[in-house]
Amino acid sequence: MARHITSVLARLYLALILVFLYLPIVIMMTMAFNTSPLYEFPFEFNLIWFKALISNERLLLSSLNSLMIALANTLVATVLGTMAALGLNRYEFRARPLLELLLLPPITIPWLIIGVSMLIFFYWTGIGRGLHSILLGHVALSLPYVIIVVGTRLKTYGPTLEEAAATLGAKPSQAFWRVTFPVLAPSIMAAALFAFAVSFDQFVISYFLAPPGVSTLPVEIYTSIRKGFTPEINAISTLIILVSMGIMLVVARYYRFGGER
Amino acid sequence: MGGAAVRQYRGIIALTAPAYLWLALTVFLPLSAMVYFSFLTQAPIGGRAAEWTPAHYIAFFTKEVYWRNAWRSFELGIYVTSLCLLFAYPAALILAKHVKGRWREALFLLVILPFWSNALVRTFSWTMVLRGDVGLLFTYWAIVIGLIHAYLPYAILTCYISLQSIDDTLIEAARSLGASPVQAFLRLTLPLSTPGIVAGVILIFVPVIGSFMEPRILGGKNAIMLGPLIENQFTAVFNWPLGAALSFIILAIVLLILLAASPFLRRQLQ
Amino acid sequence: MTILAMTRRTALAAAAAAVLCAGAAPAALSQSKELRVLNWQGYGTDEKWALENFQQQTGIKVVHDYFNSEQEMLTKLRTSPGTYDVVLFNNTFVMDAVNEGLIQPIDTSKIAHFADLTPSLRDSERFVKDGKHYAVSWVWGVTSIAYSTEKLPTPPDSIEVLWDPANAGKVGWRDDAIESVQFASLATGQDMNAPSDMEKVKAKLQALKPQIKTFWSSEDEWNKYFAAGDYIIATYWSGSAARSKKAFKLPVGFMVPKEGAIGWFDGLAIATNAPNPDSAHAFIDYMVSPEFYVKWDTDVGAPASANARANAALPEDAMNRAILGDPEVVKRLQWMAPLSDEQRKAYQELWDSVKTTFAQ
Repeated sequence: MARHITSVLARLYLALILVFLYLPIVIMMTMAFNTSPLYEFPFEFNLIWFKALISNERLLLSSLNSLMIALANTLVATVLGTMAALGLNRYEFRARPLLELLLLPPITIPWLIIGVSMLIFFYWTGIGRGLHSILLGHVALSLPYVIIVVGTRLKTYGPTLEEAAATLGAKPSQAFWRVTFPVLAPSIMAAALFAFAVSFDQFVISYFLAPPGVSTLPVEIYTSIRKGFTPEINAISTLIILVSMGIMLVVARYYRFGGER
Repeated sequence: MGGAAVRQYRGIIALTAPAYLWLALTVFLPLSAMVYFSFLTQAPIGGRAAEWTPAHYIAFFTKEVYWRNAWRSFELGIYVTSLCLLFAYPAALILAKHVKGRWREALFLLVILPFWSNALVRTFSWTMVLRGDVGLLFTYWAIVIGLIHAYLPYAILTCYISLQSIDDTLIEAARSLGASPVQAFLRLTLPLSTPGIVAGVILIFVPVIGSFMEPRILGGKNAIMLGPLIENQFTAVFNWPLGAALSFIILAIVLLILLAASPFLRRQLQ
Repeated sequence: MTILAMTRRTALAAAAAAVLCAGAAPAALSQSKELRVLNWQGYGTDEKWALENFQQQTGIKVVHDYFNSEQEMLTKLRTSPGTYDVVLFNNTFVMDAVNEGLIQPIDTSKIAHFADLTPSLRDSERFVKDGKHYAVSWVWGVTSIAYSTEKLPTPPDSIEVLWDPANAGKVGWRDDAIESVQFASLATGQDMNAPSDMEKVKAKLQALKPQIKTFWSSEDEWNKYFAAGDYIIATYWSGSAARSKKAFKLPVGFMVPKEGAIGWFDGLAIATNAPNPDSAHAFIDYMVSPEFYVKWDTDVGAPASANARANAALPEDAMNRAILGDPEVVKRLQWMAPLSDEQRKAYQELWDSVKTTFAQ
């Protein structure tokens, strides 16, 4: 009986958390279908913003840019970050605390300062502004997240399983792919999702490093604060959420990253 | 040095070098230029003459506008981080231990999904929720709510990763040896999930200190914090040295806090 | 095992492909002959119909990059030389940019409408050095007070209305250090460009604490707060007030108090090492033409034009003609003057301190 009650309470709690998380998102999606350009009630259903979106080349193109960059960023950052997390957490070595501390500056220093520094440095070294520079920047900002998230799992899990595999005669690469990787997979997936989110929502670096005429979605949204933040932005955000939900559901069907049980 | 140690070092370098080289090129080197600037009277751009001065660093300690807002930001960080973890940990625990099968994936994804919405749009949506009868808009707590909302998924995620990898058989063994559920939790689960909690603290506390968007949109008159102050040195005036100095002071404070906490952390993370 | 191996291989392949794509894209972008304009978003030069007209007339395609503050504009200019052609400049920043070598002299013979520009603006010492024009005077306007015609049917006439306790918690204010100092100077009877008593200015600003509901820093934010009823009265720009009234149908009135208001003017400049200086001149010429301006103000709402002929071509009831065309009003204006970086820093620190007291 007690267990039943705790079970109900537990689910209720999760439900409340989800309500909190989705409250503004639901509102955001509602406004995408509302007539008022100034986000005023009463609510009148209208699809004008979605129609406007279709002809809004700039917004669509910038969304595409964001997507491409985010995908590239996710791949690179997840691979490099996972490798680094492994290197940091498998062994004890003297330089380790220093290397871990070095992950802090990219998270601590306001992105504005990192952005301006990158801008100057890239100009000075001839790397210049462009999609490649944006990618360089995004990966740099994503790496600490990936390393910390994957590292969390490694710290909890410890090297014992791998050591056991080694004593049973497995080569290091075998031990990794057959033992470590499956256990790490959920956190690698989570880190990848992080990296994608960091890049897809990244405004400051993209703002400074994008060449004129090229834009990403967050930059469009931010600069539209000046001109007029219309519900077209809600429309595209709604589309993005729905598409992401769809993709995630498909991925979840084929890949369990909640773990075995 | 034996062959095994050399192999180990080579292994470490091979694994960590790519990421850290990337960071060096894109973050550390550019930031070192900023460190240099922070000790100059003005940014040496466009033919400006600049002299060495520690004035910007001193300004942090002597001028109320800087240290008071730094304190405000740290205070905000503490509130947001502790509240986030307070709400996130039970959620992560429930998700990791009580929910099984497909439900777990589905809920996990639902928690992560808000990441994909644009932060600015979300924050604007919060203005609509908090306006009117709720009357919370343009108050300090509006900022807190907005930030908790933005960072809660991080906390749930990191705690979940940690909790989920704790072997259930350990708990079962403890229970069979006579430990009560609460004891098992306090002496086994909680300590073993510390890496997740620590990761959550780092990923939340640090960015919150420098946040400027939620304060600006949700805070009204209460918006002034360190983040906007630093931004102003780049966007409202041409005072990069001061902005850089303030940022590095914050970095130093964060490092000090971590160093102070490290004996405790090292024990937990063994 | 097979799935994992496949994942690994595909992952590496995809990563390589992605990075290659990202590297190739810039090459595809840079070859076209386009004019690069750096401006605020939604400030005239990026009007879709205007760019289409211009491209039809001249064959030149225009591409925009935006900034959210003058300092950002300067940062972009400083760190990307040879990238921009036409740049919008507030007059108070022009001479510093000239001395730093960021912009080049304008060949006024290439600007057909040059003679039509109001001489006081066109030949202002802010734009001219050693007989050379470094920016073409484009628009001007007033930063003053806008109010809700519904809530305040009799238009207020004094700047003190911002401090009126009857309006407590209903005042909108722009989060800008310089503008704040200027308004407080006007309200304390000082020269807004060189207030002698900064303590008085600071005290006056601190007195705003019960008045301000929230800050705005863009036209769009202003509109949203006004529409939601957060503001009854607020600081605002003349051109934006025209737009709010016309395009958004908000009940906005605009007034210049007897104590005075802030006058400003903007010009269009050409960056040093601009890739397309000839096209730049052609574009600037189009921007100061009555053909562009009248449609801009009528359809969208704009600040006043520096082209007297363009202004005269507006309909009688246009806000720009009605208010800014009134010489009595213009006499009350104080015009923004350039400030040194040191002064700006001092103002910023003062304003940040005032905001800190607001938050306590």
